[in-house]
Formats: sequence, C-alpha cells, structure tokens
Amino acid sequence: MNISADRASGVFFLLFGLAMYFAVNPNYIEAVESGNIAPRTLPDTVSIIIAICGAVLVIKPTDQRVRNPVLMAKTGFYIVLLSVGIYAMSWFGFEYVAPLLAFAIMWFIGERRPFWLGLGVVGMPLLIWYLVTQLLGRALP
Amino acid sequence: MVDFSIILAGFSDAFTLFNLAFVLFGVVLGQFVGAVPGIGPIMAMAIAIPFTFGLDPLPAIAFLVGVNKGGLVGGAVPAVLMNTPGTPDAAATALDGNPLARQGKPLKATKMALFSSVTGDTFSDIVLITVSAPLAVLALKMGPIEVVALMIFAFSILAGLIGNSLTKGIIAAMLGLLVASVGQDPENYTPRLIFGYWDLFDGLPLPSVAIGMLAISEILHRLSEAHGNVRAAVSTEDTGNPDDKRVSWAEYWSCRYVMLRGATIGTILGALPGIGSTAAAFMSYAMTKAASKDPASFGKGNIQGIAASESANSAVVGANLIPLLTLGIPGSVGAALIISAFMIHGMQPGPLLFENQGRLVYGLFGAMLMANFVNLWVGQLGLRLWVKVVSAPESIIFSSALLLCFVGVAMATSGLFGVAIMLIFAVLGYLMASFGYSLVIFIIAFFLGPRFEKSIAQSLALTNGDLTQIFRSPVAVMLLLLSVASVVFFLRSNAQSEAR
Repeated sequence: MNISADRASGVFFLLFGLAMYFAVNPNYIEAVESGNIAPRTLPDTVSIIIAICGAVLVIKPTDQRVRNPVLMAKTGFYIVLLSVGIYAMSWFGFEYVAPLLAFAIMWFIGERRPFWLGLGVVGMPLLIWYLVTQLLGRALP
Repeated sequence: MVDFSIILAGFSDAFTLFNLAFVLFGVVLGQFVGAVPGIGPIMAMAIAIPFTFGLDPLPAIAFLVGVNKGGLVGGAVPAVLMNTPGTPDAAATALDGNPLARQGKPLKATKMALFSSVTGDTFSDIVLITVSAPLAVLALKMGPIEVVALMIFAFSILAGLIGNSLTKGIIAAMLGLLVASVGQDPENYTPRLIFGYWDLFDGLPLPSVAIGMLAISEILHRLSEAHGNVRAAVSTEDTGNPDDKRVSWAEYWSCRYVMLRGATIGTILGALPGIGSTAAAFMSYAMTKAASKDPASFGKGNIQGIAASESANSAVVGANLIPLLTLGIPGSVGAALIISAFMIHGMQPGPLLFENQGRLVYGLFGAMLMANFVNLWVGQLGLRLWVKVVSAPESIIFSSALLLCFVGVAMATSGLFGVAIMLIFAVLGYLMASFGYSLVIFIIAFFLGPRFEKSIAQSLALTNGDLTQIFRSPVAVMLLLLSVASVVFFLRSNAQSEAR
C-alpha cells in the first residue's frame, strides 16, 4: 500500500476541491455585490488549488505509505469512545463522565495496576475539579 | 527618548526578591505545563491571568512572561522524548531531538534545547531593549501589499520545507486557509461556511483546532499503538556514557553560528506580527540544514538541528513584544494574552507607552532578563523532573492529557461545542498525518488566514483593484520573486531526489 496512498488522497482532494467549488461554496457563502474582495473569492481560489494539487498527486504520487489499517481501526474505536464521552458530558457533566472515560481509556490500553488506575480515575479528575471549580471559580463542562 | 534615570529606575524596580519570586513561580509553572503535552504555556497563561488581578502590574506581567518563557523550554521535553511537541513551537525541535533521545541521549537533547533556548531568548531581549522602537517603525512601514507578499513567501517556503512533497505542502496550506475562512468574511462580515451553526460565526476557535490537530491526533495515534500493551510513555536506553548526559562547552560553542542565525531569524520574524515562533523554528532549521556540510545527518539526531529550532522559537518571545509595546499590535497568541494583561493593569501599549510608563516598561525588560537566567537555572535543576513528568505510564499520561485538553478547550471556548470541534480536527489531523500531510503548515495557514485575506482586501482597496501597482513596491516584488524562486528550487530538489 505505498503509491496508492497518495493516489487515494489525491483523488479525495480532487473531488473535495471540486465539490467545494461547485456545490458547497455557492450554497453556503452569501453573495455580496460591494467591497473589494467577494466572500467567495478566497474559498473558491483555495478550492481550485486543492483540486489541482489533488490531480497532480494522482498523476505524480510519492512513495508515501499509509499507517497500518489495523492501527487505524483501533484509532477509530478510541474516536468513538471519545465521541460518546463528549456526548455523555453534555448530558451528565464532566464530574460524572470524566472518571468513567479515564477508566475506559486506561483499561483498553491495558492498565490493570490499582495505583495507576486510582490515580487516573479518581486522582486526576479530582485535581481538575479542584483546580477549575475551587481555585479558578470556573464551571466544568 | 527615554531618560537614562528612568531606565535605571525601571531595572532597579525589577531586580527585587518579590519580583524574582513571581518570575521563578512563572518559569516553574511554564516549564511544568510546557512539559505536559496538550496543555502548553498559552493555556496556562490564559488560566493564570485572572490570578494576577490582585497584583501590581510589574510582578503580574513578570509572572506571565515567566510562564511564556518557561513554557518554551518545557515544550521541548515531550518533543524530544515523545515526539509530541508540548507546544507547536517545539515541533521543529522534535525532528532531531527525538532521534537523539532514541539513541540514548535524552538529557543531551533536552539540555541543548535549554541552552539554545536561553541563548536565543537573551539575544532577542537585548535587541528588544536596545532597538525596539526603530525596528517597530520599520515593521510599521510594511503596508498590506508587502504583508501579502511576505505571507505568500512564508507559505511557499514552508510548503517546500516541511514534508516530502511540495504538492502535499500546498494542499495542507490551502486546507488551513479554507478552514480559516469559516465564519464571517473580514470585509463584509457576512457568514461563510457555518452550515447553520451560529457558534461558528466568529470562526473556528484556535484552541480547538490547534489542540485537536497537534495534541489529540498524536494521542489517538499513540493510543492505538499502546492498545493492550502497558508501557512507559517514554522509554529511552541509557548508554552509560556520562558524555551523553551533558552538553560540553565544545558542543555548545560549535553551534554558535547556528544559534546566532536562529536568534536573528526569530527576532526578525517575531518583530513582524503574525508569523510566529513555529515558522521561525522551521525556517531556522531549514537554513541550518541547507548550510550544513552534512545535511543528511539532520533528522537523525544532529544537535545543530535542536539548536537551530530552539534558538529561533525562543527569540520570537522577546521580539513579539516589539510591535506590542511600541504599536500595540500582538504578534502571536501569547503576545495577545500579554496585551490583555497589560490593559487589565492599566498599561496602554502603543507609541506613548515609553514616554508615559517608561519606568514600568524597563522594569518589564529587567524582569525578562531575570526570567532568562531563572529559566536556565530551573531548567538545569528541573529537566530530570520534567522528564519524569512524561515518563509515567502511557495510560495515565494519555487519559490525563485528554481530560485536561477537554477542560482547557471547554474553558477557552465556553463549552462542549469547542470540544466537539477539537475532536473533529483531531480526526482530520490523524488522517492528514497518516497520509503524509503536514499539520504544522495547516496550523500556520489557519492562524494567518484571516490576516492574509484582510491584507488582500486592503491591498485591493489601496490600488483600486489595479494589481500592477504591486510593482511599485520593491519589497513586495522582491518577496514575490523569492516565492517563485523557492517553489522552483523545491520542485527541482524534489525531482533530483526522485532521480536519485
């Protein structure tokens, strides 16, 4: 999976740049008649350059190798875990979700030592709570 | 011209035990938070500013300057040991610092970073103290046309220097500019690409984007590798050779021209608002590599690479205060925080500051010089301790760093929306890094984007849309020619390396 990594990203950026120029920018940027530079000028120019560079990359790729797909899948798992954590925080608050999130991360890494688990699951969230709410007088998310 | 007695009075105000204590506290805090990936001195300064309300202006500003300077030294520790820069400024340091640490010389790498950082910082402080006003006037003479040309030159250099492909560098820079265009456009103030989310009207928050792309994406990468495999976040072999744990005078002296070049680049770029220490570090690194007799050794643990980047990024801190003190223009996020602290304490940065509050300004200069010596002293004693900060198991480092990033970004952006954006950019950063696109170029382009667009609009207004008037500015013409030359140079270099 060496040359195809650049070709894959090149195709993506070619399509992304064209989609931005023809579909997204016209629909999500307001047209303004006055002024020296229209709101669409910079995004349009940048989109076109991205598309051109994507095409160049397809034609002339480097020997870039993509990361191991298994590792990327594991990363996807942690992204889902963090997304669930943020969503849960919006419902229950940082105080309740942070220890569980810290425990889940440490557990999946493979941490089983009670001292480090205690420090990460209880100690660190407690320290953050004390620093933010007691010392700084700010609210936790 | 400021009276000499005011200069002396200012310095005598600074050199008191009371101020020394605040500088020391600031430096220790800065080095500590700089060593923890995902926090950094900027976040620490933002959190610390409310604590300084009850202090007199001089110790308050001295404390914040200490945090900023200490953070740059501390930021090199995770860059060297974990290849995870504690601050974006230290990203260039990781290029040679981490390979040196992997060779069993982590202390040599971090000490070289400390020495070159203090050297560059002291150089720029001396420049600040002696020639601040004339340099700022020179920077002020650069109009929007020259600023646009300067930014195009910076993009062309960075796109070619960082990474292995100019095309990918350009894509990363363009993506950064595209993301920077989210929010209201700088001329008409109409919403752009906000997709119905009015929280985005002021643009994507810099803390969310920067921490997501630089810290969380790296943590995600490290988490996937650590999955089911508990180990220390940092594992370096001890060679047993005492020379590998120190930097000899000969080694330090061999880097004198490298540090001088880095400090000069950092000072010049720091005096120009918007360019920043990350760009200075990479520019200095690239120039040192280009000038070296052994360029192949760079990226493999050459201490000159560390000296180049650290002397440049630290020199920016002092030089950033040149436009800030004389023009009231912050040159970086850190300077913007310092300017807000100035105003809280009744100082109005600008041309009249030296006349109205000259004693306080020279007191600040004294505190800055003091902070450099304290930085060196605390660094010498504390480096082993900061190494331990990042030597704890990955499980505790990464879970804690994630929680701190969540809280820090939520506080900086007033809510979980900023945290969600941070996660989105973490995913983008992870994918970009996986496919070999530079995150640093992206961040720099994102940071410079609004100013770049505004300068284009101002240039068009000044020239009535007649772009041929650019040719009336010799500085702009020279910078644009240099941009073209650098692109041609990098294309030829790429072609030659492919041919080999």
